[in-house]
Amino acid sequence: MLSGVKAPFCPGCSHGSSVKYLSKALTECGYNPLDIILVSDIGCSGLVDPLFNTHTIHGLHGRSPALAMGVVLGINEPNKKVITIQGDGGATIGLQHILEASRRNIDMTLIVLNNLIYGMTGGQVSGLSTNDFKTDKRIPDNAPPFDVCQLAHQAGATYVTRVNNPKEITEKLVEAIKTKGFSLVEISSLCQPYGAKKLTQLAEWIEDEILLTNNHPVGQNISKETASLINEKHFIEPKYKSAIEGKVEVIIAGSAGGGVQSAAKLLAEAGIISGLSATMKGEYPITVGTGFSLAEVILSKKEINYTGLEQPDVAIIVTDNGLLKVQNKINKNTNLYIDSKVNPPENTNAKIFDFNKMAGKKGSALSAISLWIEESGLLDINALRDVAKKHKYGDVLLKAIDSSKDMLVR
Amino acid sequence: MKKETKNIFIDGSLLITEALVKAGADIFVGYPITPSNRFYSYGQKRFPSFYPAPDEISVLQWMSGAAAAGKIPVTATAFPGLALMVESLNMAYAMELPMVIVVTQRLGPSTGSATIGAQGDLGIVNGIISGFPIPTFCPSNFEDCWTLSQKAVETAVKLRTPVILLTSKEMVMTSKSFDFNKLEEIKPLKRDKVEINGEYKSYQAGEDLIAPFIDFNTNKHQVRINSSMHNETGRIVKNEESINISKRLAEKINNNASELASFDYKKEEGSNKLIISYGISSLAALDAVEEIQANNQKVSLLIIKTLIPLSEDIYNIIDSYKEVLFVEENLNGQLKEIIFGKRNTQNITSVNKFGSMIAPSEIVNQFA
Repeated sequence: MLSGVKAPFCPGCSHGSSVKYLSKALTECGYNPLDIILVSDIGCSGLVDPLFNTHTIHGLHGRSPALAMGVVLGINEPNKKVITIQGDGGATIGLQHILEASRRNIDMTLIVLNNLIYGMTGGQVSGLSTNDFKTDKRIPDNAPPFDVCQLAHQAGATYVTRVNNPKEITEKLVEAIKTKGFSLVEISSLCQPYGAKKLTQLAEWIEDEILLTNNHPVGQNISKETASLINEKHFIEPKYKSAIEGKVEVIIAGSAGGGVQSAAKLLAEAGIISGLSATMKGEYPITVGTGFSLAEVILSKKEINYTGLEQPDVAIIVTDNGLLKVQNKINKNTNLYIDSKVNPPENTNAKIFDFNKMAGKKGSALSAISLWIEESGLLDINALRDVAKKHKYGDVLLKAIDSSKDMLVR
Repeated sequence: MKKETKNIFIDGSLLITEALVKAGADIFVGYPITPSNRFYSYGQKRFPSFYPAPDEISVLQWMSGAAAAGKIPVTATAFPGLALMVESLNMAYAMELPMVIVVTQRLGPSTGSATIGAQGDLGIVNGIISGFPIPTFCPSNFEDCWTLSQKAVETAVKLRTPVILLTSKEMVMTSKSFDFNKLEEIKPLKRDKVEINGEYKSYQAGEDLIAPFIDFNTNKHQVRINSSMHNETGRIVKNEESINISKRLAEKINNNASELASFDYKKEEGSNKLIISYGISSLAALDAVEEIQANNQKVSLLIIKTLIPLSEDIYNIIDSYKEVLFVEENLNGQLKEIIFGKRNTQNITSVNKFGSMIAPSEIVNQFA
């Protein structure tokens, strides 16, 4: 397992012996070096990768559990084992990744080398530094440490243990590596310059040993056959005629849940089935279930490049919410269809109808569009009926379209 | 023979998703964000593998791990997510891992407005691997959504690098009728199986400056992937060899600038004025140029689709005009700044807009 490269650790550092325990454990589990992908990150603990003859990947501070999880999600060879090493600093900045891998019970082993401090940057405390350690070092921070073992266990990891006795490390690593699912081994470690210099001193500072197990399902990789999302039902063959010679810009304004977006889509499709180019843009608040709902449709004989719409030729307004959004875009030249419940804005030539009453809240916008089509003669109403029929709620939509007939004869 | 037209009513998100998968991308890692949210929902249905990550740092980390294991990962985000990805994207770049990041521009700074379009992210994309180019393609119409998505996947694999597909809210959320038969069928990318006799080194590049890529599935060779400065083997060292490997990251992309280049150049003979645009604004520029020419004025139009790296061709075209007008939907002109710096001159001007699309009339007025 080991490359023979000399370990770069300070004399008396636990990391050197942890490397040997890990190598021994992997061999004991029957692995060859190239069965293993060793994932490491930044900090003294991250200096391990050249020491191993395995596959290695060395990334960013604290992110190795997430990087390792990506390897597990991507790998095809089921016999590969992913081993991750990080320090207590890495476990602090990357805690979310440990919880996520635990929650999904990803089949990998994480080793946290906890020497209670950030060694590479001068001995600062981490989220795993204990209060006994901080008090003895006169570090004014009495926030209790994270117990990374308890957290991983609560999140769903199959096997979690904290080892304080070096003699037990290999055995615990073997148990963890043999685990199917997420396993975590926290190894309490010495750091000569900044942390515990001897095991007796370490024993006074660290949390008690612990072993916790869960029996949750192991995270599975997903790979499915998929079909193209662009299929025959998207294709629209022109079969109607349109009287539109240039470009017609339509704005449809209503409220959430009022069928504005689907009515606009049908109008655009009716244009396409009539041999026109069409664009459609929706606008609504982030909270899609409330407030205004606005749609812009452009129908054009020529291909449409710019999809913006400054002054609509036609405006359909079925609620007050809708009016508020578009009132500054309409004037007396706008062909304006407005519901009788909405106060028509001044200086406009509004055509007022009972769209809501005649076609219901959900059908009002489509009813108004239908009336405009019938009155203007720019499209064949059967073009709109045709595209509506293909819709899941075709029957309901056709009723809304037909409701315009009563208004037309009035 | 001209193919018959096949009309479809579709948005850019669906075209891009479809093209990426057809080209060979096989895993989507997502964190939902507007206006890239349609990529997330289409990706969930269309990609062979889909994983929802808990944040955008995780997104890039999962993608990197999966790429090292042989996959071609994709994600889609907007500026707030991209900001979280920056360090991890640098990691993937240094590790030389193939992947595609779709960035859908919305109005910033900060959270700005999620549902207002913009072209304000070229600045960060240009500086994201500070001083190093990350190949960046920017679709200016639906055909580009298709072809540049394929080009993004091919580039990622061929150059062993993350690639950005820079889109905008209007490009990917506005539905348009479109002749589907205009598109060429995309054939899935064939990844060459790397055969090495003797020792394989993950970062040993040939004359083309690309290091052959073997992933973690192998039992034949040791694979060492590293984001810190490393030698050819992939071990952390600080020496001339490792410094040269870091420099190679930029060289391998800059050397391929003309192969990566994509642009539409509508040259009008006798014109000494050039309009330059990209992405969503280039559609307004097209309409504006038509109007300007209808008014018997001469103007040429350059729509740039490969924004990083810019090829010599782009500079040569620009050099052949007396006056250049940039059209971009941001505060001060970010492409203009990349090419000419912050200083405006009489001959270098721009039409900019913040908070809504630039209309063709605004370009025509500025041009007059």
